[in-house]
Amino acid sequence: MDPDMWRVRRFLHRLRAFLRPGASERELARELTAQLGLLEDEYRRRGLRPDEARLAARRSLGGVDQLKELHRDARSIPWLEDARRDVPHAFRSLGRNPGFAFAAVATLAIGIGANTTMFSVVNSVLLKPLSYARDSDRLVRLMMDMPAEDSPTRAPLRTAVGLSAGEIAELQRRTRALSHVGTVGPVLMGLGGHEEAARLQGARVSASVFPMLGARPLLGRVFDSADERTGGGHVVLLSHSAWQRLFAGDHAVVGRTIRLESVLGPRRQSHYTVVGVMPGEFRFPTGTTQFWLPFQPAGTGPVIRGPMLGRLADGVSIEAAAAEVAPAVRQLRGHPARIRYELVREQAELVAPVRPALLVLWAAVGVVLLIACVNVANLLLARSAARQREFAIRAALGAGRMRLIRQALAESLVLALLGGTAGVLLAVAGVRLLRTLATTLERMDLGSAVSFPRLYDLGLDGVALVFTLGVSVAAGVMFGLAPAFGRPAGGASASLRASRLGTGRLLVIAEVAMATVLLVVGTLLVRSFVKLSGVGLGYDPQQVLTFQVAVPVERYPDERLKAFAEAVVAGLRAVPGVQAAAYANQLPMVVLKDTFRVGRMPDSRAAANPGGADARFVSRDYFRAMGIRVRAGRGFDEAGEPRDARALLINQALARREFGRESPLGATVFVGRDPHPWRVIGVVDDVRQFGFDREPEPQFFAELRRWAPEAGPLFPLGAYYAVRTTSDPWGVVPHIRQVVRGLDDRAALFNVAPMQQLVSTTLSRPRMYAVLAGVFAGVAVLLAAIGLYGVIAYTVARRTREIGIRMALGAHGTQVMRAILGRSLATSLVGLVLGLAGAAAGARVLESMLFGLRPLDPATYVGVSLAFAAVATVASYLPARRVMKVDPVAVLRCE
Amino acid sequence: MPRGPDRVELLQGTLDLIVLRALATMGPQHAYGLAARLEQTGDHRLTLNQGTLYPALVRLEQKGWIRGTWRTTEHNREAKYYTITKPGLRALEKQTERWRRLVGLLDRLLLDGS
Repeated sequence: MDPDMWRVRRFLHRLRAFLRPGASERELARELTAQLGLLEDEYRRRGLRPDEARLAARRSLGGVDQLKELHRDARSIPWLEDARRDVPHAFRSLGRNPGFAFAAVATLAIGIGANTTMFSVVNSVLLKPLSYARDSDRLVRLMMDMPAEDSPTRAPLRTAVGLSAGEIAELQRRTRALSHVGTVGPVLMGLGGHEEAARLQGARVSASVFPMLGARPLLGRVFDSADERTGGGHVVLLSHSAWQRLFAGDHAVVGRTIRLESVLGPRRQSHYTVVGVMPGEFRFPTGTTQFWLPFQPAGTGPVIRGPMLGRLADGVSIEAAAAEVAPAVRQLRGHPARIRYELVREQAELVAPVRPALLVLWAAVGVVLLIACVNVANLLLARSAARQREFAIRAALGAGRMRLIRQALAESLVLALLGGTAGVLLAVAGVRLLRTLATTLERMDLGSAVSFPRLYDLGLDGVALVFTLGVSVAAGVMFGLAPAFGRPAGGASASLRASRLGTGRLLVIAEVAMATVLLVVGTLLVRSFVKLSGVGLGYDPQQVLTFQVAVPVERYPDERLKAFAEAVVAGLRAVPGVQAAAYANQLPMVVLKDTFRVGRMPDSRAAANPGGADARFVSRDYFRAMGIRVRAGRGFDEAGEPRDARALLINQALARREFGRESPLGATVFVGRDPHPWRVIGVVDDVRQFGFDREPEPQFFAELRRWAPEAGPLFPLGAYYAVRTTSDPWGVVPHIRQVVRGLDDRAALFNVAPMQQLVSTTLSRPRMYAVLAGVFAGVAVLLAAIGLYGVIAYTVARRTREIGIRMALGAHGTQVMRAILGRSLATSLVGLVLGLAGAAAGARVLESMLFGLRPLDPATYVGVSLAFAAVATVASYLPARRVMKVDPVAVLRCE
Repeated sequence: MPRGPDRVELLQGTLDLIVLRALATMGPQHAYGLAARLEQTGDHRLTLNQGTLYPALVRLEQKGWIRGTWRTTEHNREAKYYTITKPGLRALEKQTERWRRLVGLLDRLLLDGS
């Protein structure tokens, strides 16, 4: 037997005794009774009378309560026993003062709830391993930093290094540092052969991706290298949701075929054999991926490249892997040395766009909690003054200083845990709100920059609850100990008062400073969002409905698509409530970019001036439907007269670039390699085509009906329709469906959304940051104001006597009030200055989150100072005013 | 009870040893009986109130060195009788050995000089 076994046994006994106090108390009572009986017998034997014997027995046993106490100490765990008594005591004592308890718990609930919410986000998005991959911290991605001269956008660009299927295979042969190398790219397919045409979002993946991620199929198999060889091609893996929707979860799906139509690039329809179904948690590369195709079977069409993914081999560091992989990739791709490569962790890269903001917001809620703690500490300080007598009595009865501190801690812990429980409830609502704020239209055509990464992982889980518990306990100890140490061991009441006021003032300064920092951050983010959303878009998204139409590819070869779109628009014009209807190859906020060279001279191969412009192919009514103003000249002719056969409209940016101050109207320009000139018939407003924060680019508009494309499909993403309505845009949807169905019984609407929603979805991240930072700042200021109020009210209450005497000696009420007010404002001012300095020092981290504002924006700082001064004045004036009500006579009478 | 210089205060940790020893030689005892016997054996020079004995018994029982069972006395009272257990006997042996060594050491340290 282990020699120390008895320690374990003893601890278990004590724990049991603690957990079942009733049983051990009964045992104790029983033993003491037996003991008394035995003693009594003994005394009787010695010749005492029964009643004498009983008394003698009691005497000789000694103090029963003392004995019990000793016994309890031996039997159980003393500090836990103390806690058992302290906790109910704490509840009783809080119950006697429900106003205080409510204020403290509510304050803490807000602080802790906000923290739990933000922690849940940080944990689910930044910290938790990716749900679709095993050991996701070993997954890496190769990024490159291009200097402006190599970048297609003529601005420094950071992007993933793309590799083709062949390059991936070659890299795998050459490298030992990566155990798996693969690639993935998005793909959009039309679903054929079904009742209604539909669009599916999917991904092309190399076969190595599945072992790389450690992903197993739910049914069937994943891809293997045979699927990547020539002729291996037409196989598909379905997502869980696609399997449910298309095959109603039929287990016999493996081996069946679906018809998929490629809608990007040349339109072709093929049969694909379902080889497997992936489980629901395999959200790779995004949560909306519905199927997977082999990346690119050898020899099928022009080479496509996707971002390189890899898994670090066992024991290889990311630096060592980078040293081996970068030269190999450089050789494969032939990039010049000035393009720098960097191997980054996949998870970090995935969440990189939201990481700084989440950390800032997390820090912000941490500050909110600190302020909440300071407030509660202040409340406790005030209360401990009121409870001086209680503590004095308990100390006189023999409670040690530690015992009293423990008692105070028990109270603050009870408060903190109550606050934490309420906080968790708030956090449930908070997480829900955050999810709503972060949710965007899940559309591939809006680009990945819009959606919030890993939103599907967002939730309150066990880890978050443990975090909450930890935060609550830490908060409880923090604000519980402050008053405990602020209270001297005893001694003169003068020192008592001085020390307590000192602590209170320090707390207020800290509180004001922290709230100032948050107010600056919140104001910056809110103003930035207001500026961003106030940007002139160049079009009017109100009351515009946008949608797309999926048509069976076998019925509509390319040359019939124009006619179909024209027919749809003609039908839409007849719908009641429709003011204008148009189609285009893309809409604002859609990421597709078609760049053509536009110049006043034919394609002169003048490399010096690239002269690119974004091309928009639209129908005649596009400007009316979208609300784009034609600044000069006119739009396309209604009737489509022959004089408009080669007509263009250009935007102001292009007009400025090509014509300067001249009027472009009637001038001719050359587009792309087309040797024939185009005539400019109008100039339109600049449109923010690719988002609020991107300056408008030179753009031209051609009538799609007359455009003879140089190459490539007319509608790379399918035609987009825009309908301007007289009232609620959703209202016309049934009519539109009717029109479309009337043209083709298998046509179906998809991507139906008011233009306003597309606009709003691209603003979702800045909106979320602004809302959160604004709310946190508001709460912080409110709490600081309450704290200030509390301290002043407490001061006035404590000094009533002194004030009374002063007033009896001739001081005026307003003088006294002014003195108190002045002192309070001086305190706030110190906090304000410290806070402004802190904010200025830390605001740099906000740089990337701000639009049209600098982190040191003077107006913000001045505004915050003024606002805070006003709040502090009101919060101090309200309690200070009570000085006026002090009646010197009443005070003196009390003396 | 005798008072004065003759009374011996127990050294920390020796009570456990004495209780174990008493139970080993005298067989099952209830707490009162144990106290009475110890005082007798100790020639009434041993201070042993219930207040110290009780926690010791609880401690020993929790360690598993003694076991208490409720029985009836000859006078038909119920009382908890404590018996030494096998781990208790082993512990007694070890502790006694340690105690002997300690006493021997103390003897040498305290008496050699005189």
